[in-house]
Amino acid sequence: MSDNEGHSAAPPSEEDLSLPKATVAKMIAELLPNGVTCAKDTRDLIIECCVEYIHLISSEANEICEQDAKKTIAPEHIISALKRLGFETFTAEVEDVLKDHKQQQKEREKKVSKLELSGLSEEELLRQQQELFAQSLAKYQSTQQ
Amino acid sequence: MKNKNKQTKFPVARIKRIMQKDEEVGKVAQATPVVISKALELFLAMIVDEASKVTIERGSKRVEAYHLKHAVETVDMLDFLKEIVEAVPDPSAGGTIDLEQEQADKEKKKRGKGKKAEGGEASTAPRKRRKKADKAKDEEDVEPEEEESVEAYSRRLHEEDDDYER
Repeated sequence: MSDNEGHSAAPPSEEDLSLPKATVAKMIAELLPNGVTCAKDTRDLIIECCVEYIHLISSEANEICEQDAKKTIAPEHIISALKRLGFETFTAEVEDVLKDHKQQQKEREKKVSKLELSGLSEEELLRQQQELFAQSLAKYQSTQQ
Repeated sequence: MKNKNKQTKFPVARIKRIMQKDEEVGKVAQATPVVISKALELFLAMIVDEASKVTIERGSKRVEAYHLKHAVETVDMLDFLKEIVEAVPDPSAGGTIDLEQEQADKEKKKRGKGKKAEGGEASTAPRKRRKKADKAKDEEDVEPEEEESVEAYSRRLHEEDDDYER
């Protein structure tokens, strides 16, 4: 799974596992109404609550996954967990995100398989592309005259 | 200047690690932490909304820990957080307040360094972060530890002077 945290420091040790303070602080600031700020202690407390939330959902989803006789926790298990725990209001948006993600995955796979299927190396493909450009340029020039 | 673009997202890899901290949790599909990230975003929005409602209700401009605590105690969905907020002291729980010092500090704050402007507070406040061990101590003894300066304590307390709920 690709990690987009290029800018962050080394991953925290197991015990300190939490969410990045700066990220959360920014999100909180974006959510608060104008004129209201958040105390530092409160922000840290909110981070704890978020981590707890992850555990809550994961635990429930894990049970659902087992009941489903599967070994890997799937997004569908998360959605069921949300419903079971009283967070039905979240499921609509969460399902949208899932749809988008699946869509992006498909497009990624399409790109990769197209490259693989051609069985050509990158240099060869590049050469072919240059040729095609040259051909269409020639065509264009001939129609100009 | 507030940026309401809301493009900041939770780090997906970190979420996965947090999930797997639980020994019961085994393999996790690639899309799963992505989905949790969204749920978490919605959860954060909810909890911030509920806490800030309390803040505004009490006429304060800064969301304090006990505003959050009150929200947790009032909103059903937040039940599971009760243990986490348990250690947060209620404002009416005492602690010595030097009224004159507080008044002087109020004036000082009003002239202000401008640091407390919207959103600017979080990173620069030199207040010492209380660790978990000290938090436990706080349950019996609400007075701040010696590390926190009197000035900082008064400043902190002054935020509470809007409500004297019993």
